[in-house]
Amino acid sequence: MSLPQSLRTSVIPEELEMIASQELVEVIPLIAMEKTVFISGEFGPLRPPMKSKIPLWMALNLKLKKKCHIVAPEWLNIDYLQDRLTRETTLPEFSDLPFRFAEISRLLLDAASDDIPNSDKLRLVLKDLREARQAKSREGLQQLDHSELSLPNLCSMEINEIRPFFIRSMGIFTQLQRTTQPQE
Amino acid sequence: MADWDEEYNRTFGAGQAAVASGSAPPANPFLERIRDVARDDDDIDIDELMAPAGIQAGLFDRTGSSTQGEPPIQQLIRHWMNERHAPDILPIQEQLLASILDHIRRQSDAVQLIRSDPGASQEEHFRIVLVQTEIERIKFIVRSYLRTRLFKIEKYARYIVSNVDIQTRISASERAYASKQAKILDNHFWVTVLQSLPEAQSHLDDTPIFMPPMVTEPDKSRAVFVHALKQCPPVILPDGSSLEMAKDHISLVPFSAVENLILRDEVELV
Repeated sequence: MSLPQSLRTSVIPEELEMIASQELVEVIPLIAMEKTVFISGEFGPLRPPMKSKIPLWMALNLKLKKKCHIVAPEWLNIDYLQDRLTRETTLPEFSDLPFRFAEISRLLLDAASDDIPNSDKLRLVLKDLREARQAKSREGLQQLDHSELSLPNLCSMEINEIRPFFIRSMGIFTQLQRTTQPQE
Repeated sequence: MADWDEEYNRTFGAGQAAVASGSAPPANPFLERIRDVARDDDDIDIDELMAPAGIQAGLFDRTGSSTQGEPPIQQLIRHWMNERHAPDILPIQEQLLASILDHIRRQSDAVQLIRSDPGASQEEHFRIVLVQTEIERIKFIVRSYLRTRLFKIEKYARYIVSNVDIQTRISASERAYASKQAKILDNHFWVTVLQSLPEAQSHLDDTPIFMPPMVTEPDKSRAVFVHALKQCPPVILPDGSSLEMAKDHISLVPFSAVENLILRDEVELV
C-alpha cells in the first residue's frame, strides 16, 4: 500500500527526530571544510577550532566519525532544566521549552553524551520533566469538549504522544453533540 | 498535461499581477519583491549554485505572503506534516516540488562531476558524503509527502471522481490515478457483489435513509493540533464561539474550523 499501516494514524517519533535534526547546532570541528552549498542553505567553512553552526543531522554525522565536538544548546544544561522542573511542579501551566526539546536532547544525549557536561544527571532531569508534563497533559483531558482545547507550550513529542487518544475523544464528543442536537 | 497547467497558471498569474500593479499603487509585497531581487543579484558572485534557488524562492514569496523568507526545505517539511495530519487532501505544492526536485538534480549532477574527477582530494569526498546524505533526506521527505497523498487518493478515490472541488487540489497524474483506482474498485464491487443484487440496490451512490453514504468521504470534523505561525483572524468553532489565535498558540480544534487558515499558511499542523 502507499502508506504503511503504522504511519497512517499519526507521525512516528523517528520522523519527528528527522524534522528536529534540521535545526542548527554549534559544533567545534576537528576537520577543515570549505564553505559548501547544500539544498537547505550554505554551511561552513569549518576551520578548527572555530565554532560553526550546522544542521543537527550534519553534526551527528560528523560526530559519529569523530570529526567534531557538539556544543550543547543553551537550554540543555542542569540549571536551566532544573529551573523549568521546579516551575513545572509548582505552577499549573506548562513551562516554556523549545518546541522540539525532547527530540533534540535525545539525539544529542544518544550520540554525543561525552560532549555534554553532566549528561547522566541531565537524563534524570529530562525524565522528571517529561513525567511532570505528562501528568499535566492527562489532566488537560478533563477540559476536553467537542470544539476546542488550548494547549500552550506543549511540545512536539508530547503532542504526538497524546494525539491518538485526544483526537478520538474529541471525535466521540462531536458524535454525541450531533445526536443530542436534533432533540433540542 | 502538468506542464500545460503550469504554463497556464504562470501566464494567468503574471497577467493578474500586471493588472493589479497597474491599477493600484505598489503594495508592500511588491517592494519586498524588489528587495529580494537585489539580494539575489548580490548572491550571484558569491555562489552561482544558490542563485537559481534564490530566484525561485522569490517566486514563492509572491504567492505565500505569510511564509516570506522561509527556505524551501522548511516549506516542504511544513506541507508534509500538514498533509500527514489533515483528514482531507490539501492542495498539491507543484511549484515547490518542482523547484526542490530540480535542486536535487543539480546537486546530484555536481556530485557526479566531482566523483568522476580522479584528482579529487580526501576532503572533497568527505563533502560529497554530506551532500549525498542531505539529498537522501530530502528525497525521503518528498516520497513520504507524495505517498501520503496517494494513500488519501486511494481511500477517497470514488469521492474524488465525483467531486470537482477536490480535483482542483490534486495534480494531473494524481487525477488519473484516482479515476483508475475508482474504476478498478467499481468493477471489483460489481463483479463480486452488486451484479447479483436486485436492480434497486445494485448502485454504490444511492443514498438510503438512515444509512451513512457508501462512498468514503474525508471526515472534516476530525480534530487536528494546530500551531499558529502568526496572529490569526478569528475562526468560528462548532459550538458557535470564536477563537483568535496569537502567534505560537497551540490548540486542538476540528479540521473544518481551521481549514482556511491552513490554506493561507497562517497555521501549521503539528
